Order: sequence, then structure tokens, then C-alpha cells
Amino acid sequence: MALPVALRDTVSPPELELIASEQLIEIVPLIAMERTAFISGAYGPLRPPAKSKVPIWMAMNLKLKRKCHIVAPEWLNVEFLQERLTQETTRTEFSQLPFRFSEIAKLLLDIASDDIQNPDKIRYLLKDIREARQAKSRDGLQKIDHSELSLPNLCSMEINEIRPFFVKAMGVLTHLTRESTADNAARFENF
Amino acid sequence: MPDFDAEPETPLQQLIRHWMNERHAPDILPWQGEVLDGLLNHINRQSTTVNLLRGDPDSSEDEHFRIVLAQTEIERVKFVVRSYIRTRLYKIEKYARYVARTPQIQERLSQAELQHAQTFAKLTEDHFSVSVLQALPEHQRSLEDASPFTPPMITEPDKSRAVFVHALNDCPAVRLPDGTTLEIKKGYIVLTPYAVVEELLAFGSVELV
Repeated sequence: MALPVALRDTVSPPELELIASEQLIEIVPLIAMERTAFISGAYGPLRPPAKSKVPIWMAMNLKLKRKCHIVAPEWLNVEFLQERLTQETTRTEFSQLPFRFSEIAKLLLDIASDDIQNPDKIRYLLKDIREARQAKSRDGLQKIDHSELSLPNLCSMEINEIRPFFVKAMGVLTHLTRESTADNAARFENF
Repeated sequence: MPDFDAEPETPLQQLIRHWMNERHAPDILPWQGEVLDGLLNHINRQSTTVNLLRGDPDSSEDEHFRIVLAQTEIERVKFVVRSYIRTRLYKIEKYARYVARTPQIQERLSQAELQHAQTFAKLTEDHFSVSVLQALPEHQRSLEDASPFTPPMITEPDKSRAVFVHALNDCPAVRLPDGTTLEIKKGYIVLTPYAVVEELLAFGSVELV
């Protein structure tokens, strides 16, 4: 019953989605509900057509039953992403995006694409942003050493993607450094 | 990015943070008994309410979908609880023999976990002894040889393994393996060996992502 082998060294994307969908999002409910206490907090009351904030998992559950419209977060639109893409391609550092943007964007585009304006264009932009950022994280690999690598603005899904390789790379460098200092120490003793 | 100044973490958010820390850390972290007990109680209370409402024949359709939502959430929380415990179980079995002879690490385990680790360590040792070691010459039977140039016979957590750290607060400077120091500011993300941030993590200033 211990952890499955595939999950021992890293986290799976569905698990990251589970964590991301604890975040709150605005919905326009189509049904009424009294304020209800859940484990993560109390939500509601839902009174159509007043907007209300609920966790993403709840919004998705309601959306699948056609009981609400989801209000896209302020960063999930063409203008914002276009601007980030420009930053991403003209500057060397990572642009600022919400830490779990990629999980949330995927969930919303999969389930509520009719509540989002221009979903196809957004998908293209997200893909371009992802590629531009991937290229940067690969460049970051050149700067890796055995003690530290700063990765400002890197996002959750991107970290997960580079994790196996980067952790291994740092491990190898740690070994090499340790061995060479041990070597030097030995040489000094013989001297 | 969740802003930790704005609102205190809910128990579920705490558990999710500890769950992720446990998943990424090479070492076994302190058992979060209090958080877990609180959540398990909450799950129980919520399940009882759901069952009561479900048994009520007068419940309207409106009532019905609230029940479905509550059940969905219960399952989500249960998943996190299970995964947290299974992660620890994996590490405890992997390092069982190390746990059995290291008092410092025993303090971080729950009573049930410690018992399991000790039984598991004993079972493994007995098994080795019965299946192979008995048949070897006396001086080769030890399970604790520390000869140079061979890996140790007791698996220990590799604290030099790198982890991705996300700073929740501004952190005091920490010493890196190359001798320099590093100051991790709030919101920074750094890849560094676990040993560097071990204390910051215990203090709750950083989380592993």
C-alpha cells in the first residue's frame, strides 16, 4: 500500500490539477443554493444571477451539469496572454504568470470553453508561451551547479516537467564535486 | 499564487502543503498528527451529515446536488489524506532499518508508523538471515559492515538530493555546499540540495514544490 512506483520521484499532472482546483473562481450560478459549509470553507449563498466565488472543482462540477457559467480569471484572455508572449519572446527572464496558470487554463478550456472568449486563440497563445518558456528553462540548465539555481517566476507545471532531469543533473554535479574535493584532500596528505 | 498574508491557511491547505513537502523531501518529515486528526474528524462529521440527508425521503433536488458536492469534496480530501500517509509509508519501509536504530528520526513518526518501521526492519533482517546469511561464514553475516568503497548496508535518506523550494517568507541566509551563502526572498523559487533548506522547511518558511 505504499506509494505507487511512478509517483515516488515526482508528482503527477492530475495531482497538480487537484491542488490547483482548490483555488477560488467566480461563477454566475443558474440555480440557487443556501450557504453551505464544506471542509475547505463555507460557500454561497448562490442566487442567480449574482456572481459568487467557489473552488474550481465545485465550479467544474456545476458547469458539467449546466448549473453555472464560469467567469474566466483576469489573466485568461487574449490581450493579457498576447502581452505575456511578447515579454516572453523579447526578454531573457520568465514573465510573471500565476503559479498554477497552466493547470487552471487546461481545466477551464476543457470544460468551460464556451464561457471563455476566443478559446482557440487562447490555446495557441498558451502553447507559444509554453514553448518560449521551455526554451528558457533548457538554457537554465547551463547555469546549474551543485549548490543552487534560482528560477524566478517558474510555474508549478513547468517545475514538474523539468524536475527529474534537473534533480538528477544536480545530483551528478554534487557527486563530482564531492569526489574531487576528496581527491584533493588525499593528494595533500600524500604530499 | 496564494497570498499567505491575506488569509490564514485552512486545515486542508495545510495538509496539502505538508503532503507536497513529504512527497518531495528525501527525508521523513515530522508527522502532522494534529492537522490530520482535525481533518479526519471533519470528514466524519461531513459524512454523517451527508448520510442523514440522503436517508431523508423528503429531500428536494436542490438538497440532492448539495449532497453530491459535499460527497465530491469528501472524496478529494480523502485522496490527499491517503496519499500523504502512503508517501510516508513508502519512505518508512525504504528506511526501516535506519529508522529502527536512529532515535532522532523516531520522534518524527506517529506511534503506529514507528511500530511498523520496527516490525518491518526486523522482518527484513530475519529474512536476510534465514535465506542467505546463515549459510555464510561467521564474519560475513553482519548487516552493518561499514567497509570503505562500498555503499553503506543501511539505506539512509540522501539529504544532498536537490529539491525545488518556494519561499513563503523572507528567509535568513543559508550556507550552500560551495561555501557561499544564499538569501531566499519571499516568493523566490530555487533548486538546491535538501540539506540546505532542511531547517527553513522545519520552520515553515519555505515549501517544496
